[in-house]
Amino acid sequence: MINDPKKRHAVSDAPRKRSFKQKLSWFVDHVKNEWQIYLMLAPAIIWFIVFLYKPMYGLQIAFKDYSIFRGVAASPWVGWEHFQTLFGNDQFIRAFWNTIKISALNLLFGFPAPIILALMFNEIINATYKRFAQTIVYLPHFISSVIIAGIVTTAFSPTAGIVNTILEWFGYDSIYFLTKPEWFRPIFVGTGIWQEAGFGSIVFLAAIAGVNPSLYESAVVDGASRWQMMWKITLPCILPTILIMLIIRIGNIMEVSFEMIILLYQPATYVTADVVNTWVYRQGLQNGQYDVAAAAGLFNAVVAFVLVMVANTLSRRYMRTSLW
Amino acid sequence: MSSVKLENGVKLEKVVKCYGKLEVVHGIDLDVAEKEFVVLVGPSGCGKSTTLRMIAGLEDITDGTISIHDRVVSRVAPKDRDVAMVFQNYALYPHLKVFENIAFGLRIRKEPKDKIQSTVEEVSEILGLTPYLDRRPAELSGGQRQRVAMGRAIVRHPKVFLFDEPLSNLDAKLRTQMRAEIKQLHKRLGATSVYVTHDQVEAMTLADRIVVMNDGFIEQIGTPMELFVNPANTFVASFIGSPPMNQFPAIVKAISETSMQAMVNNTAFNLPDNPGVNDGQKVIIGIRPEHLTLTSAANAASIPITLNLVEPLGSEALLHAAIEEHPVIIKTETHGNIDHLNDVSTVYAPAELVSVFDADTGLALTGHRTT
Repeated sequence: MINDPKKRHAVSDAPRKRSFKQKLSWFVDHVKNEWQIYLMLAPAIIWFIVFLYKPMYGLQIAFKDYSIFRGVAASPWVGWEHFQTLFGNDQFIRAFWNTIKISALNLLFGFPAPIILALMFNEIINATYKRFAQTIVYLPHFISSVIIAGIVTTAFSPTAGIVNTILEWFGYDSIYFLTKPEWFRPIFVGTGIWQEAGFGSIVFLAAIAGVNPSLYESAVVDGASRWQMMWKITLPCILPTILIMLIIRIGNIMEVSFEMIILLYQPATYVTADVVNTWVYRQGLQNGQYDVAAAAGLFNAVVAFVLVMVANTLSRRYMRTSLW
Repeated sequence: MSSVKLENGVKLEKVVKCYGKLEVVHGIDLDVAEKEFVVLVGPSGCGKSTTLRMIAGLEDITDGTISIHDRVVSRVAPKDRDVAMVFQNYALYPHLKVFENIAFGLRIRKEPKDKIQSTVEEVSEILGLTPYLDRRPAELSGGQRQRVAMGRAIVRHPKVFLFDEPLSNLDAKLRTQMRAEIKQLHKRLGATSVYVTHDQVEAMTLADRIVVMNDGFIEQIGTPMELFVNPANTFVASFIGSPPMNQFPAIVKAISETSMQAMVNNTAFNLPDNPGVNDGQKVIIGIRPEHLTLTSAANAASIPITLNLVEPLGSEALLHAAIEEHPVIIKTETHGNIDHLNDVSTVYAPAELVSVFDADTGLALTGHRTT
């Protein structure tokens, strides 16, 4: 036990004052001692290096006049030229705003959906019915996007689709939904909710399960109704989880479900359906403009990075919850 | 028995609780008088918390009747029973500040804002929480959190306070302090209180009456001293008192018509006059560690012991020994020195302090001793 406060201070400060060499030596010793843990960590680190960090080398083609034959290193630098091309391209600007609009709709309707679902599951008292209902809503998550797109196409088909059949029952004309630009976003967002809300609710159900049951019992004795308990206990208690999920979601705001859009859109709906990722796909892979596509991808990543930083900072400052 | 007059408190009549086919509380009867402080005590799983939760309405009863202030509340919702409960883990809302935590019950009941303000301030003053009203539970110490939990209960001015092991999460020092505070608070508020604990010291220090529970049954109800001096059976004898009462299987040997001894193998314990046992009867005798006194071997009534260990506690010491092959604990004063205790080889058990229990049923056979 150190009784001299100055000495105690010195001991507690010691790790911060170590030199780089000392830190490296400590790290090597640590790896030697705990090699089993580092071995288990290795696959994840290797995956990150190979699939996320190494490709960053290729990002430089966003600033080069890239040619597959010359390679990345030998291609000449062109500075911001591709970005100027991007921002002068009406189709890219349209794709950018479409991405923002679809993401905003996803955030507005798709983000609260699993929370509401989790709250509803939490209110089901019968355990068997609860398990049954949960299984039903989790299932769409495990269906391939291609099949989901097939189901959506069939459901909204102007001839045999169930939606148009119902419309006709009520005396309305059938609509060819998937060729109407104004219907693309609602259908896309709705499909996303149908497919993912159930599975997404697992995180929130886990958070709800973590709420201390005596909070509810105390509230029951105080006279709170189930509705009041949901608003005054459950929601505030899972708010940190909601915020973390929101920050992650904001980080992915530029990553709208690329596969599903490719499967559902068609030239007639490009005006509302074409997003940055589909535009990059067409420019890069179909038209061979890898450098412009890389510039668009980099722009996408920078926007997402800024958004996630802002969301994290705001959440930390005002709600005392943050990702880091 | 207790001199407390029973009226208008909490009344349990033949209350049964089953979980599926498993019966965990077996038709218990209990009367708690108005303003009385009753402690339910017993080992883990004895049904004490379940009983408390049935009074609160958090658990349905399977059979029987629960009344609060002469009103049958067996099927009444918790909010309409006019009870407040303090939970073991405080049950404070982590997202609300202390003020809002205390005010929660009043806001739920849609009390006027100015009344909420004044009531919360008044209660905070009583509990010494005024400086902490703007803090969240995570920023408080264990003792402060416990006070907030009590504040939430007090603020509603309920007819009955229910405490479910409220001090078990605190360290020993804080527990002693909070115990005294709860006792003072009860004296000040004078509300009917039912308190659950597994700590018999807490039960002894807080209770007007103690209810000892075991395996879903009530073993004995009485004042702390009644339970200490006249335990109804071997379970209560072993549960109340620290260390617990020493117990030995013995056979009664008649010395004369009124004088009896209990033979623990070859060691004789003098029994109190008219112990209500017969010559040759198998019994269990009990004597508290503090009632065994150190004596010299020259004393005719001395009992030989084999000393195994001396545990000094400061002003007192515990001597772990054996009489014949039966373990025994002796509690004695040290007067600042324990050296002489290592040489102890005999003890004296005053006949009037020896309890006698039936060997088969465990029920007390000795007559009622005055406390």
